[in-house]
Amino acid sequence: MCDHSKNIYKPHLATIEQIIDETHDIRTFRLVFQDEAVRESFSFRSGQFAEYSAFGAGEATFCIASSPTRQGQIECCFRAVGRVTEALRRLEVGDTIGVRGPYGNSFPIEQFYGKNLVFVAGGIALPPLRTLIWNCLDQREKFNDITIVYGARTEADLVYKHELKEWQERSDVNLVKTVDPGGDGPEWDGKVGFVPSILEAAAPASDNTIALVCGPPIMIKFTLPVLEKLGFTDEQIYTTLENRMKCGLGKCGRCNVGNVYVCKDGPVFTAGQVKAMPQEF
Amino acid sequence: MSKTITEQNLRLLVDALLKEGGRVVAPKLAETMTLYEPLATGQELDLTKLPRRSSKETFFPLCETILTFERDEAGVRVGDVDPASFPETVLLGARPCDAAAPSILDAVFSWDYNDEFYLERRRKTTIIGLACTTADDACFCTAVGLSPADTRGSDLFLTPLEGGGYACQAVTDKGKELMEKQAQFFSDAGSEKPLAPAEPAGEPLDLGKIKSWLDGNFENPLWTKIADLCVGCGACAFLCPACHCFDISDEGTEAKGCRRKHWDACGFGKFTNHASGHNPRDVQPQRYRNRIMHKFKYYDDKFGRTLCTGCGRCIRWCPVGIDIAAILQQVEAKVEVE
Ligand SMILES: Cc1cc2nc3c(=O)[nH]c(=O)nc-3n(C[C@H](O)[C@H](O)[C@H](O)COP(=O)(O)OP(=O)(O)OC[C@H]3O[C@@H](n4cnc5c(N)ncnc54)[C@H](O)[C@@H]3O)c2cc1C
Ligand code: SF4
Ligand code: SF4
Ligand code: FES
Repeated sequence: MCDHSKNIYKPHLATIEQIIDETHDIRTFRLVFQDEAVRESFSFRSGQFAEYSAFGAGEATFCIASSPTRQGQIECCFRAVGRVTEALRRLEVGDTIGVRGPYGNSFPIEQFYGKNLVFVAGGIALPPLRTLIWNCLDQREKFNDITIVYGARTEADLVYKHELKEWQERSDVNLVKTVDPGGDGPEWDGKVGFVPSILEAAAPASDNTIALVCGPPIMIKFTLPVLEKLGFTDEQIYTTLENRMKCGLGKCGRCNVGNVYVCKDGPVFTAGQVKAMPQEF
Repeated sequence: MSKTITEQNLRLLVDALLKEGGRVVAPKLAETMTLYEPLATGQELDLTKLPRRSSKETFFPLCETILTFERDEAGVRVGDVDPASFPETVLLGARPCDAAAPSILDAVFSWDYNDEFYLERRRKTTIIGLACTTADDACFCTAVGLSPADTRGSDLFLTPLEGGGYACQAVTDKGKELMEKQAQFFSDAGSEKPLAPAEPAGEPLDLGKIKSWLDGNFENPLWTKIADLCVGCGACAFLCPACHCFDISDEGTEAKGCRRKHWDACGFGKFTNHASGHNPRDVQPQRYRNRIMHKFKYYDDKFGRTLCTGCGRCIRWCPVGIDIAAILQQVEAKVEVE
C-alpha cells in the first residue's frame, strides 16, 4: 500500500437518511454516502467497525450494524454517553456525518457454512451480532439451525424491537428473548431471567455449532462457563472486544490488550484467543 | 565519503540552506532550555547541550491539523491538508539517541496504512547526526545497543574534532548529495583527531533476556513496586523520542473547525477509560507496566525493534525519580535469579 496522496484520517461524508429511536438513549442512523463512487465501492464484512464523526465534537467508534448483503447504505446504532455520541444525537435527518473505515477483522462467516449458529447478546451489544444475523439470514440456506438469545434489563432497553418481532415470526429462526427479573411489563411475551441462565435452559446443542457472544463484560463472564457446560470448545465461541480506540489504524497506541491491537487484530476473537490475552480489557 | 567542516562554516551552511527556502531544525537555546527548533539564522545553532525534548516533533508534531471542516445549509465540506506542502527540512545536530528514533517509528506509521503526515516529513528530512563527547548520569544508550558515535538513522554524521570543527561522514546517499551540493563549506579531512566519544555508565543490557521475562510476567508484584509513585504526568512519554501514542480531537464549532492529531500518553488515567466508566488499566502501575511492555516487548513482537534509544530523558525529568534504566537492570537480574 503506497498511495502518497491519501490522508488516512479523512472520513467519507454520509447523509443521515433515517433515524430510529431504539430506546430512550440508543439510536440507529441509516447512512448514505454522499459520493457516488464511495457508495458503489464501500464494502465491508460483518464484525468490522468504523469511526463516525460529528464535526466539531470528534470521532467515536461503532460497529457497522447493518449487513454487507444490504448495499448502498450502512447503519450504526449507538448509545449517547459522552461528548461525541451526544453531539451525534443532536443531528437530524438530512445532516452530514463523517465515516472512516471499515476497519478491523471480521467474523469468518465462510467457516460457519453448514453449521448451527447460536447468537447470545445482551443490551446494547446486539448491533455487532445483528450485522452477522442478517448476513446469515440473507443466505439462509447456507446454515443449519439459527438460535438467537437476546436479553436486556427491561423491555424498554431492548434494541431492534421491530426486528425481534420479525425473527420471532420466522419459522427458520429460534428467538429466545428475555428481560432481567422485574424488567417485564404486562404485555411481555418473552422469558424473565438473566441471559446466561436463559441460555442454559434453552440448552442449544454444541455439536457442529458456533456460538457468537456479545454483551457487557459481566454477561460474557457468566455466559462462557454455561457454553462450556453445554460442550462448546473455546474455538467454537466468538466474541468481540471493545477497547477504547482513536485511530482504528494501529498507530495511536490506545487499543492494545498485551501485544494484540484490537483495532487491527480484532475486534473479533475466539474465546480461546481472549483467554490467552493478558486480562486488561 | 568523509570531510571536515568548521564551526563557522556549519553556521554558514545553515544560512545557505535557509536561503534556499528549506527549514533547518537544530538545537538552540530557547529562553531557559535547549530545544530542537526551526532556526532563523546559523548564529542560533547551539550544539553544546542535549536538547530537553527529543527531535521527534520534526516528523510527528506535538499537535497538527489533519483536516478542516465547514458546515452551511448545503452540508459539510471537508478540507484536506496536503503533505506535499511540508517544507524540505534538515535536522541538524541530532544526537544518536534522537537520530535513531525515526527509523524505529517508521514501522508503526507505515504498517498497513501509511500516515503521510509522518512519512512525508520523513522523506523530506535529511538528518545530520552529532556524536556525543559527554554523557550525564541518565544517559544509557550503550545499554540498549546504541552508542554515542552511532550513525544509525543519520544521513550525515558529525564528530567533534580536538581542535574545533567537525569530521563529517556521509552515511547515506541522501547525506552524500547534501554534502556535494554544499561542497564549498566542507574541506578534505586532515589529520585532526576526533574527540573521544562519551562513555555512558552501565553495562549493555541483554534485551532478549529482558523480553523473555516480560513475556511471562504480565502479572508480577514488581509492577506495583516500581510504579506506585508514578503520578501519571506523562512527562516521560512527551520527552521520549520513541513514544508515539496520540489522540485525535476536534477544535472549533460545529460550523467551522479543524481536526487535530496530538500527543497522548498511556500513563494518563483516562487513556483507556471506556465510556461506560470501566477502565481496563485503572491503577497507575498497570499504566506504567504498559509503558515498559510496549517498549521492550509489544513493539518487538510486532515490529522486531525496541522502542527506547536510551536517551535518558524520562529519567532526567520524571518528577518522582522513576528510573527506567534501573528497572531494566532489576528485570535482567531477576532472570539471572529465576
Ligand atoms: C470496536 C468497538 C465497537 C463499538 N461499537 C459500538 C456500538 O456499536 N454502539 C455503541 O453505542 N458504542 C460502541 N462502542 C463504544 C463507543 O465507541 C463509545 O461509547 C463512544 O466512543 C463514546 O464516545 P463519546 O465521545 O460519546 O464518549 P466520551 O465523551 O469519550 O465519554 C467517555 C467517558 O467520559 C465521560 N464524559 C463524557 N463527557 C464528559 C464531561 N464533559 N465531563 C466528564 N466526563 C465526561 C462519560 O461519562 C464517559 O464515561 C464501540 C467501541 C469499540 C471499540
Ligand atoms: S524510554 Fe526514556 S530513555 Fe528510552 S528513549 Fe524514551 S525517554 Fe529516552
Ligand atoms: S514522568 Fe514519571 S511520574 Fe510522570 S508519567 Fe512518567 S514515570 Fe510517571
Ligand atoms: S485504535 Fe489506534 S492503535 Fe488501535
